[in-house]
Amino acid sequence: MQKIEAVIQPSKLDAVKDALVEIGVEGMTITEARGHGRQKGHTEFYRGREYSVDLLPKVKLEVVVADEMLDKAILAITGAARTGTIGDGKIFISKIDEAIRIRNDERGEIAL
Amino acid sequence: MSCRTGLLRGVRSLRDLCIPSVGAPVGRDHESSADHRYARHEVTCMLKVLSSKMAMQGTEHLGNLVRAAYQRKMLEVRGAFEAGGASGAVTIAARAAALDELVRGLWAQAVERDPRLGNGISLIAVGGYGRRELFPYSDVDLLFLLDGKLAEKDVKDAIRRVNQEMWDSGIRVSPVTRKIAECEKFDPENAEFALSLMDHRWVTGDATLYDKFAEQCVPKLLQREHKALTIRLLELTRARHAKYGDTLFHLEPNIKDCPGGLRDVHVCGWMTKLRAAAVLAQKKGAAEADRGPVAEDDEFRKAVDFLWLVRCFLHYRHERDDNTLDWQAQDAAAETAVGMTGRKPKKADAAYWMRLYFRHARSVERRVTQILEEVPAPFSSKLLGLKRERKAEVVQHGFRLERGRVVLESGAEFGHDPAEDPDVVLQVFSVMAGTGVTLGRDAEERLSQGLPLLSAHLEEGPALWHHLQGILKGSHAGDALRTMHALGVLELLIPEFHGIDALVIRDAYHRYTVDEHTFVLIDTLHGLESAQSGAMAEWATRLGGVLRELPHPELLYLAALLHDTGKGRSTGDHTRESARMAESVLERLELDTYESRLVVNLIANHLEMSAALRRDIFDEETVEAFAGKMQTPEALRMLTLFTYADINAVHPDALTPWKAENLWRLFIATSNYLDRSVDDERLGAQEERELVHRVVALLPGQKAAVLEYLEGFPERYVLTRTPEQVRTHFKMAMGFASDPVQLDFRYAAAVSELTLVTRDRPQLFATMAGVLAAWGMNIVTADAFSNRQGVVVDTFRFTDGFRTLEMNASEHEAFVKSVHDVLVGTISVEKLLSGRRRGRRKAPLVVVETRVEFDDEASSHSTLLEVVAQDTTGLLRALSLTLAAQSCNIEVALIDTEGETAIDVFYLTRSGAKLDKEEEKVLREALLKAIEENAR
Repeated sequence: MQKIEAVIQPSKLDAVKDALVEIGVEGMTITEARGHGRQKGHTEFYRGREYSVDLLPKVKLEVVVADEMLDKAILAITGAARTGTIGDGKIFISKIDEAIRIRNDERGEIAL
Repeated sequence: MSCRTGLLRGVRSLRDLCIPSVGAPVGRDHESSADHRYARHEVTCMLKVLSSKMAMQGTEHLGNLVRAAYQRKMLEVRGAFEAGGASGAVTIAARAAALDELVRGLWAQAVERDPRLGNGISLIAVGGYGRRELFPYSDVDLLFLLDGKLAEKDVKDAIRRVNQEMWDSGIRVSPVTRKIAECEKFDPENAEFALSLMDHRWVTGDATLYDKFAEQCVPKLLQREHKALTIRLLELTRARHAKYGDTLFHLEPNIKDCPGGLRDVHVCGWMTKLRAAAVLAQKKGAAEADRGPVAEDDEFRKAVDFLWLVRCFLHYRHERDDNTLDWQAQDAAAETAVGMTGRKPKKADAAYWMRLYFRHARSVERRVTQILEEVPAPFSSKLLGLKRERKAEVVQHGFRLERGRVVLESGAEFGHDPAEDPDVVLQVFSVMAGTGVTLGRDAEERLSQGLPLLSAHLEEGPALWHHLQGILKGSHAGDALRTMHALGVLELLIPEFHGIDALVIRDAYHRYTVDEHTFVLIDTLHGLESAQSGAMAEWATRLGGVLRELPHPELLYLAALLHDTGKGRSTGDHTRESARMAESVLERLELDTYESRLVVNLIANHLEMSAALRRDIFDEETVEAFAGKMQTPEALRMLTLFTYADINAVHPDALTPWKAENLWRLFIATSNYLDRSVDDERLGAQEERELVHRVVALLPGQKAAVLEYLEGFPERYVLTRTPEQVRTHFKMAMGFASDPVQLDFRYAAAVSELTLVTRDRPQLFATMAGVLAAWGMNIVTADAFSNRQGVVVDTFRFTDGFRTLEMNASEHEAFVKSVHDVLVGTISVEKLLSGRRRGRRKAPLVVVETRVEFDDEASSHSTLLEVVAQDTTGLLRALSLTLAAQSCNIEVALIDTEGETAIDVFYLTRSGAKLDKEEEKVLREALLKAIEENAR
């Protein structure tokens, strides 16, 4: 089992969710986040006051998938989230040791 | 000793009892037909009782028979309930009666075994069992009362045995053994026990002992301790309500503990009893005449019946004491039309059913609130932190305020019944909205009854709008509106509200029914008026500033009130439906076209900002598209505030600092975009937009001249004026032949308005600013626009610094003449300014840093200049003189103030073109110098 952590543009969330559901991934955790990579923030002035953004709004999406689903899931995410410009985000993959369904103690891939 | 041997005579096996086969499906699938569902637990017990003890005879056999009878009775009751015939009330009463029989039988058995138990011990039902409300899986509160003569150790075993037998029969008995003397003492740590005693009922055992208990012991306890019990009960209730967010609106409500649930019903009963005890306890005759508790009305009783029914439903469904109305339970309840009397409507889905639930829960909540509020102030205000210490009565027209409650005058005192007089009634709600006082019980009853006549006397139009404004703008508007809604007054004023009464939007996000959502939204807006703490404090402060600067806050609140009325219709797009419904409301209130347009547009667009937030807010195109829908800064500000409150009113957790920050960013980006696009968006020669049509309609036969006048003005000009105002300006422009300098002055106590229409020439703006400064006027906002023909329309809105105009009406004419003379050239501005009164310069509350910024990209043919500085008299004149001195022409000016900050935006050209870098540098230095000098 692999965990996918994707940091994406908030405006892409709906598209990414739909793409994942379409390939059969139903469970995911969404977190509102802030961050930046090479994409720099900028400054906006309003009524003489400066409002600068160094940390831009992002969304972090976490899913755990079976090994054989990994490539499909990554493709779904990148396909939906990519615009080709700086700020699209990143995906991180890590290995998961165990998954357990709290309701009934199911373990392993059936718990996903 | 009676026993039901008849039932079990000749029984040899299960089959003889004609019990359905144990193999019937009892799996996890709760969707299978109710008729075949028998609790596994009850069947097991029955088996245990019958198969393992059928062989025994004598007293054991008697006990078995009694138990078996009980089991069978319970199954019958369940069957009757699930077949749909029996109500909740009947079911729980029947279960209590059956249990009584069982307890009597078991106790009779115990006494037979040990005759000592025949005297001095009484079995008393308390709590829910005492009230004859025995729900399928609730605990049974049973009190074993000893008179003190019997030693506890003697009876301990017998009691334990009886309890064990009850447990074996599947009864979750919660037994308590007490000596009667102990019952008279009140243990503050265990107030729940004392409260449960209030609902006592003899089941079996020593009747004389019970009489002593019921007639002496308990009344003494209550009369002595009613204060302590009341306080404790209030505390417990408050804590429980707080645990559920003080709201009855939950997606999966707990129908026992949530506000509006069964616990609240119990509280009503207990408070009534405590109050009766309090009255009895008054030795010197009541200081305040106690009229007794509010009689239970029909609505409340129906609500209780409904809740009983639902609790039975849930217990049988969950097969344990689980009172949560979860998602699937809601579906099942709707499916089987639980509690729905009369014909089941075609589309009775879970949302429809939950609407019923919320309506009933609301009735219960109202009553419990009423009852708790009537607790005399010394206990309650300490606990509930209410500011009810006002001793003075405040008298109004037709009513007065006594200790934080509204009391209506009698018909005799007032001349006619104030409850039927719309002026009085609406004023009552206005005061409630402003101060947070509540309706006294009497006033509520009278208003309820007076509704039909109130309806007959109600007049629509400006008077009604005036009252409604008063209510909407009060900081406690939400609570006043809730009361109006509960009484039916709100629907009287706005029938459109009927469709969204308790309307449930059934998804994981919407916490509240649509009507409650509306009130929470309005509460949120008012919440921005005061400082907040916590994670949202920063955003609340910024948006609070925006709210304060709104010229028409009442329109925002009105739009908020009406924005979801369209959800009552089941068409797809509720924003459009709501806008349509709003239009008819606005017509009845007779708002002018500009105000109406603001409200209707806000409602029609109320989801636009949320939609924009789902896109990339840092992308120019998103901002541009959104700005196109907003069109004016005022609309943008209103929608921003609205969106903030709308998100917060969906669900308490919906509005996060993350979302608020994005909202703010989109707001400032769009605000800047709007200011920067004024110059380029101009009216064409054959402009077809609706606003232009309206102006043309006001000037029949002059279409060509009107279009010629309008051509070249920035769109902002028509967007921020009513058609009537544009007509006025047009007429002024047509009057140049008689007077080339046309002035229109509108005086108002708060902010006056002076408009100049004339042909463009240098220093016009500076001159106007100078005259106003000479008269001591503080310019709040101003704008300057010009058309293709070179006609300028300069509008200044200002406050009267020295109250010259307020105090002397004749000065109005002198003022206008003075302005006219200066513009025509008869008097010089400098002369006026030299003679002006210099007010004492107050130290500024907030020190504003000066900023001068140029933007060459905003407009295609002019340079945008933004100056932000401390707002002082003469600032605008200083700036515009400087601009003139540098040979800059003002194409467009947008002047605004926010608190102590002046925000002045100019679109400039020099020799018909943008300024170059060198010119900008020179100009910047000149401006900074001028600002500094003016400040001295």
